[in-house]
Amino acid sequence: MRRGSIIQLTAIGLVAGAICTAVALAIPWLPVAGGQEAGRIHFVYWFTTVIAICVFSVVTAVLVYSVWKFRAGPDDDSDGPPTHGHTQLEIVWTAIPAVLVTAISIVSAIVLAQNGHAGTNPLVIKVEARQFAWKFTYPNGTSFGTLTLPQGRHVKLDITADDVIHSFWVPQLSQKQDAVPGQHNFIVITPTHIATYPVVCTELCGLGHALMRSQVDILAPADYEKWVAQGGTASSGPPGLAVFQQNGCAGCHTFKPALATGNVGPNLDNLAQEAKQANRGALDAFIKESIVKPQAYIAPGFTDAMPHTFGTQIPPDKLQQLVQYLAKGA
Amino acid sequence: MTDVAHAHDLHAAPPAPTGWHRLTAAGWLRVLWVTPLFFGIGVALPVLLRWAADWHPLWKGSVILTVELVTTPIGFLAGLGVFDYWAYYASGRPTRPEDHSGHGAHSWRDYFHVNTDHKVIGIQYVVTTFFFFLVSGFFALLFRAELAQPGDQYFNPQTFNVLVSDHAALMIFLFIVPVFAGLGNYVIPLMIGAGDMAFPRLNALSFWLLPIGGAILITGMVMPGGGPSAGWTCYAPLCSHQPLGQVFFNMGVQWAGTSSIMTALNFLVTIITMRAPGMTFWRMPLLVWANFTTSLLVVIATPFIAGSQFFVLFDRVLHTNFFEPGGGGYVLGYQHIFWFYSHPAVYIMILPGFGIISEVIAVMSRKPVFGYRLMALSLMAILVLGFSVWAHHMFVAGMAGWLRVPMMVTSMVIAVPTGVKVFSWLATMWNGRIRFTTPMLFALGFLSMFVIGGLSGIYLASVPIDIHASDTYFIVAHIHYVLFGGSVFTIFAGVYYWFPKMTGRMYNERLGQLHFWLTFIGFNLTFFPMHYIGLQGMPRRVADYAHRFADINLFISIASFGLGASTLVFLYNVINSWAHGPVAEGNPWRALTLEWQVSSPPPIFNFDEIPQVVGHPYEYGVPGAKHAILGAPRPVPVLTDPVGAD
Repeated sequence: MRRGSIIQLTAIGLVAGAICTAVALAIPWLPVAGGQEAGRIHFVYWFTTVIAICVFSVVTAVLVYSVWKFRAGPDDDSDGPPTHGHTQLEIVWTAIPAVLVTAISIVSAIVLAQNGHAGTNPLVIKVEARQFAWKFTYPNGTSFGTLTLPQGRHVKLDITADDVIHSFWVPQLSQKQDAVPGQHNFIVITPTHIATYPVVCTELCGLGHALMRSQVDILAPADYEKWVAQGGTASSGPPGLAVFQQNGCAGCHTFKPALATGNVGPNLDNLAQEAKQANRGALDAFIKESIVKPQAYIAPGFTDAMPHTFGTQIPPDKLQQLVQYLAKGA
Repeated sequence: MTDVAHAHDLHAAPPAPTGWHRLTAAGWLRVLWVTPLFFGIGVALPVLLRWAADWHPLWKGSVILTVELVTTPIGFLAGLGVFDYWAYYASGRPTRPEDHSGHGAHSWRDYFHVNTDHKVIGIQYVVTTFFFFLVSGFFALLFRAELAQPGDQYFNPQTFNVLVSDHAALMIFLFIVPVFAGLGNYVIPLMIGAGDMAFPRLNALSFWLLPIGGAILITGMVMPGGGPSAGWTCYAPLCSHQPLGQVFFNMGVQWAGTSSIMTALNFLVTIITMRAPGMTFWRMPLLVWANFTTSLLVVIATPFIAGSQFFVLFDRVLHTNFFEPGGGGYVLGYQHIFWFYSHPAVYIMILPGFGIISEVIAVMSRKPVFGYRLMALSLMAILVLGFSVWAHHMFVAGMAGWLRVPMMVTSMVIAVPTGVKVFSWLATMWNGRIRFTTPMLFALGFLSMFVIGGLSGIYLASVPIDIHASDTYFIVAHIHYVLFGGSVFTIFAGVYYWFPKMTGRMYNERLGQLHFWLTFIGFNLTFFPMHYIGLQGMPRRVADYAHRFADINLFISIASFGLGASTLVFLYNVINSWAHGPVAEGNPWRALTLEWQVSSPPPIFNFDEIPQVVGHPYEYGVPGAKHAILGAPRPVPVLTDPVGAD
């Protein structure tokens, strides 16, 4: 190989590398790292990115150079030189990628081990997923539809599901874990920022999957203690709103007072009218029956898609709050 | 369409049936009454059995439907005449001697009948699979329209999920996997110097199972109550509790999978037993090597997806508890079985493409494939390693924790043989005399896109990064870089490359290049931004999403419409060129492999003389080198030892 072509190749490779680096740095590819685990995952991401840019630049350099220099003219019927191979070269390009992927594997394995470490006194919170809501239960037995965490403490989430597979993910905390019925899975998160982030279900779980969202509020340790002492009253609305949110009604139904916009199931804004149409007793009775035994009356244009289990899941007092909230809102 | 059958008149076709015999002779008239008959049997059988056993209700939808989806296709196949020869043989009636009267196609109508000629079957395969490519591509445009804005505009979540599920299922099971079987069907017997496939009747059966699989998947979409909507991965227990349309998915996959397995067996036997004299394993073109390894993968892995779909179906219909947590089932068992097929399936969908790229790059660069033996060996390495990486799809699934690091290491290691192939293609081009024809442009497009897809694969093989990126649009971006930028680009390269051989006519080069650039640009504009929204937090398979992703999703949707429109250029080019294109020479690319040494399209029995293979298939630039001699006197059959015979 001539010296001139080596210089040209190197130049193309450097330009390609510079463009890739600019793209990698100019665009905020990853969300803010809101936890220790996310910070480590971001490190693996950047470690891999450096290697990926190097590999991509080498391939691009050879590709661009070949396209540029080895183009056959329109009347050129000649063949190239009959090179069949080059054993040393083949060993090199087998060995170098092997070394690179080994390096990424080692870094990944170390980070994976660190991210599974919950310390000696983690805060254990039970996470229960169901179509299409999250339920977070604290050590003192109280449970909520949104997650509240103290900053700077290891939190161990004990994740399971009632019906089908869901997946718990907070993009800023990076950790993700499927919620599997009949099985308990664990992840550790250690929030570092005081902030509010979305909780997203990432495993297709049915019609309300796209709306199966919640949020995590990360409080300063003192504020968190205060929040626990107050019994965790986060939402200031009527008690029925909390029941509505905890049970994921918003995943399927539109209900303006709760800012719910789901359209899998019937709209709940005109319940009084619907109750008349259905002709199944008074408004309260109709709403209660529709929650506890949804198959009894199915609104025109819909199917028997609502779970039949809310009657056993929602305690009677809460059910009463929900019925009142829906009846009043309508 | 050109006339493939020059030598046909040598073999007199049986006289056309007349009168009532037209209803009993194999063909579409018989389909019209045999299919309803078997449909009736499919209803009567479960109802009568339930009546006899006093099980109520007599009419149980899921049971009748499952039986129906077995009997009705069998009725269709029987009507068409796929089983005739075997039925005659089994019932002791005289079988019709194979006079090859069915070989070749005289008009477009012949492609709608059972035919045992691998060249006809190859074209049937490619055209059928491209039909499903267009249909499922159209589904993608529909749900991209929905995704152009957050909130619900055109489709409710049920319809959206059905479109997403069927887009993936049709693309995978009815396009990418079988289109390679179609191209291989046409090219491989020619490449190894054989007259046909080893089992021509099985070959015809394999093809006709395919439209059945596709018809079942599409029919399921319009079932009352909703079509299959659990994604193409169809995870239990979600899919066991979907409306009845899900049964269509479970059964449609079975028919397509059966087709796949039978074709793979046919390829294996053909490649092992029917190579021309002198064609040792180390003289086979790399496309043959690629289809050999792919067929091994198909034969070993595909029964696992059949199992996973049957178990899910049994959980629904027979009330078994394979994956039902309430009955002691193992929920993650489904994913283990499913991915034990579906990860090797990724290689089923890319290795034949690797073979096509090796052919195109060597011919268009006028140089031997660099490191031929290592290229073949790396295919075998991918085959073996491909079975040890399935659980990298389950890093966040909650499987046994210790399994994650070993599966990460094997997933990383599989990048090494893949890298060897990429570097060898680059070295093949180095110092070559490159011709930038449409197939070569698609090969170069494949190389650059597949490198990006391979590198994002490294990110996903790393467990910590996968934990962040799993089930987001980053996955959607990655899979399209390897399956569209990878497989589909190789398919286009192959279709353009063998178009003159298959149709006898040349495609329009200018339109071909336009198609490439529109596809290449549209593809990148559509899929590259998905990496970003995925990492930022947009999950996949959602009809609605957070408002901050609105602008970028609108951009992606507009780009995807452009990408869809680029296919129209391709369609116009192939249809118009097939009908009116300039007549192609036998060997327009001046290639050495055997399929180019015969006329375009090839004679009815491929080779008038058995070719004698005397050298390697890619000896470009070697003065006086020959891969094979045609027209040599028929050699006396002798047993040769193929190992190291070159």
